[in-house]
Amino acid sequence: MKTIIFDASTLISFAMNGLLSELRGLRAGFDGKFIITKAVKKEAIDRPITIKRFELQAMQLKALFLDKVLELPSSLNVDDKLIEEDAKEIMNSANQIFYGKNRNIEIIHLGESECVALAKILKDRGIPNLLAIDERTMRMLCEKPENLRELLERKLHTKITVKRSPRKILSGCKVIRSTELAYMAYKKGLITLKGNMVLDALLYAMKFKGCSISEGEIQEIKSLDIRASK
Amino acid sequence: MQESDNVLRIFQEARVAMQKGDGSKLRSLSDQTINTASRTQDPDNVTTAVIVYALSKIVERRDYRKQKGWNVFYESLSRSIDKLIKAIEEKKDLLIKKNLEEMRRQIKTLSGDLKNYIEDVFRRSKVNKASRIYAHGISSEKTAKLLGITLWELQNYAGASITQEDPETRTITAKERINTLEEFFK
Repeated sequence: MKTIIFDASTLISFAMNGLLSELRGLRAGFDGKFIITKAVKKEAIDRPITIKRFELQAMQLKALFLDKVLELPSSLNVDDKLIEEDAKEIMNSANQIFYGKNRNIEIIHLGESECVALAKILKDRGIPNLLAIDERTMRMLCEKPENLRELLERKLHTKITVKRSPRKILSGCKVIRSTELAYMAYKKGLITLKGNMVLDALLYAMKFKGCSISEGEIQEIKSLDIRASK
Repeated sequence: MQESDNVLRIFQEARVAMQKGDGSKLRSLSDQTINTASRTQDPDNVTTAVIVYALSKIVERRDYRKQKGWNVFYESLSRSIDKLIKAIEEKKDLLIKKNLEEMRRQIKTLSGDLKNYIEDVFRRSKVNKASRIYAHGISSEKTAKLLGITLWELQNYAGASITQEDPETRTITAKERINTLEEFFK
């Protein structure tokens, strides 16, 4: 059993671009589960469904949840309490990694930590998993924390030191984004639009709805498609 | 309140800029609080950034000055800022919080189009400041919680910013990521 653990940011990118049927299609062709934690469900579905501006998209996400396209960790026999406890520990530790001007720089919150906690629990149980995260900070923290230190230092105009090892807290998490999932949907023929600009449009749509991807990376993904089609 | 001397200066200068109707200066003052707000996440610093940015929008929209209730609102807002400056000068933390709260209450007493406009200005100010804090390296969820907005609002706004082009954000190649995903879907 493989799993993709979705952060709220990735679900929001798909929902805001009207690409939830493509997400449904990806799940149908996937030999595993798409999982969301309770905190992610709250941010992506339960809270926005009460706000008129986001009600429709949250309802559409809720439909995915009701149809078991998105499932809770309990479907993998993972106890929510265990995730919450581990997430608090991860959040507290991660928020003590970077230090500047006599204080810790608190960088992440509980929902994001729950995704990492679940990834670690599943890894310990031998269940391969990927984290789908569109937001920048958590991805950088998982993949290249030294870059995050440099970014904080540059933006805050403050010397930032590393007080705790990020690798010990977040090691082994593999991250994908909505853009890679959209690319996969495109390659699998799940996108009904036709034409040579469709992939370009998909990638930029995700970027402009908040997926942390640079212009250069978009060009890189497009070049992969060109090479594959030759 | 963290770094209260800086907040005091911001409000003193904001008061002058407000009288001159200088929206550009107010926006610049708001930006100056973002560093401290990102680093300390002190609610008073965050509120200062939001209020001063909102003031820039309020002074720039002159058509709303003809609306019923504008003069009363503007005068009471000015008085609150004066009281706030005095409270910061005297380092009376409780009074600072009370005056910040008072400003929020003043908006609730408005009615009609003016109320809708001012509420909208403050909501947009929160989203704008959130996107700036996110750009400083604080996660989206942490930032949204700090500003009391939804992730949806933040993501929609931040997506159009140039944050994604910061060179540090490139961690692994897109090819590596695609390969990982393709392996996973086999």
